[in-house]
Amino acid sequence: MNAILEIRGLRKQFGGVTALSGVDLSIDEGEILGVVGPNGSGKTTLFNVVTGVYKPTAGAVTWHGRDITGLVAHEVSGAGIAHTFQQAMAFPGLPVFENVQIACEHARKSARPYPWTTPDALLDFVGLSELAHERAGILPFGSLRLLGIALALATRPSLILLDEPAAGLNDRETQTLVGLVKQFPQHGISVCVIDHDMKLMQMLCRRLVVLDFGSKIADGLIHDVLNDPKVLEVYLGGVL
Amino acid sequence: MKASHTMKNRASPFASLLPALLVIGVLVLVPALGPSNRTLSLAISAGINIVALYGLAVLFGQTGILSMGHAALVGVGAYVAAILARDAGIGFWVALPLGSLLAAVAAAIVGVPSLRVSGHHFVIMTFAFGQLLAIVLTNGGDFTGAATGLDLQLPVTWFGRDAGELVPYYFIVVAFVAISAIASWAIINSSYGRTLRAIRENEKLAASLGINVGRHKIGAFVVSGLFAGVSGVLLAYFFRHISPNQFSSFPSIYLALMVMIGGARLLLGPIAGGILVSFLPEMLNLDPVESRILYGVCLIAVILLLPNGLIAGLLQGLQAIVKAAFGSRAETPAAGANNASGARR
Repeated sequence: MNAILEIRGLRKQFGGVTALSGVDLSIDEGEILGVVGPNGSGKTTLFNVVTGVYKPTAGAVTWHGRDITGLVAHEVSGAGIAHTFQQAMAFPGLPVFENVQIACEHARKSARPYPWTTPDALLDFVGLSELAHERAGILPFGSLRLLGIALALATRPSLILLDEPAAGLNDRETQTLVGLVKQFPQHGISVCVIDHDMKLMQMLCRRLVVLDFGSKIADGLIHDVLNDPKVLEVYLGGVL
Repeated sequence: MKASHTMKNRASPFASLLPALLVIGVLVLVPALGPSNRTLSLAISAGINIVALYGLAVLFGQTGILSMGHAALVGVGAYVAAILARDAGIGFWVALPLGSLLAAVAAAIVGVPSLRVSGHHFVIMTFAFGQLLAIVLTNGGDFTGAATGLDLQLPVTWFGRDAGELVPYYFIVVAFVAISAIASWAIINSSYGRTLRAIRENEKLAASLGINVGRHKIGAFVVSGLFAGVSGVLLAYFFRHISPNQFSSFPSIYLALMVMIGGARLLLGPIAGGILVSFLPEMLNLDPVESRILYGVCLIAVILLLPNGLIAGLLQGLQAIVKAAFGSRAETPAAGANNASGARR
């Protein structure tokens, strides 16, 4: 396996609170990796440290062999790592088309061919062409999530971090989302997804990582991890 | 469907410039109506403000940053013009680009430390820098003329003739209003303008798409300084005497008020705000104290009732009337107008 992103001993402290206490994690080329954990286990902090929202207290992030620890958000995007947000996924006051147009205009230069390089192609891919001239703020939640995906794809990433992409979506919308995300690896885009939803994880991932209180407690094939007694203990409270 | 996207996105920008150009066309005809000198003077000072307002429209309307010290940047332009004329004999047309450039440099100097903070904190920083400039000018000794200020004696000429009289100077100011409107329109409809709007709408998302948010905020402040500098040179050559209190906190608040009343996101906003705030006290025959009270009331009313300004409010009102009068049949054109205003922003 060829790891593109390697996280070593990542720590993040907010005052006296330790959100991440030395996490090791690697993401392989072309995989869809799932990260789960109870609320407050450090999933979103992990994303925020990797994408430059926070600076880590200690540890290193290596991207294609290059140390990217502590880069700020726009530099991380320029390096080819995109991410989507749980909330505030779009520019609400601007038309949908302009949202994607802005993202395309700031796309990094990449030698790799992408199937979607124009706003029209991206909107077509996520199925929002019909809504191109509506203000993003009036879109229903499901469409807003898809717009968030289109914006992340527009930056021409080779890794996308998805932060609870299915939160607030109904079953049909979740199916659409899964259909899209499963196509990313064919186009050279690896995926790391964090969510609570085990059904979603089973649909998307082969490998699963479990975080608890800022530490990694399991990492392996999804079937093995879900049968690990340690995981059942923290994740399901030991009831099963 | 795809073809229609491209069509629409290419056709709409010019449609948004047209109303502003029409209004400016009407303004050109004003001297032919034989207005009084008082009216013409007010119109000139309104026009000088409008030039600065177009810069504020880029800063506040597009980028979402409010400056409460903008008159200080106008002051930089004005003092550059007066000092260049006094010490180097450099006239109006050379002072214009130099004043504009130096005001932009001043904006960069203020912007780099100030834009590390955002929201209300930035507003307070700009207010403080505005006050600071007034203090520096007041204590600048002979170089800035201290509290008395500076006189400007060089004539304004164009095409070899004197243009310092009211009517020719009016035309010069209207020309700069037109240039400012077109420049502002070009920014709004460029990739740069879209980048600024992205920052206004969602800074975190903008950064995640690869936009250097801090650099672009400072850039927008510098661009607004270019407009302010031009406005300052025009002001210095109109009043012929400048002093520090012309560029302190009250004028700054007036500028912010004008852009809010007119509406910062529409191209007609600065023109409407500049004219209204300049002429309303005159038309209602108010003394300066009463007019300040009126401005305060207006500002509160606009913020509460018409958060996007008077012009946007008028358009919405018109749409509502059309809808009420023609019922469901009018829904299609009303939706079209919505789209157009979306594209304009």
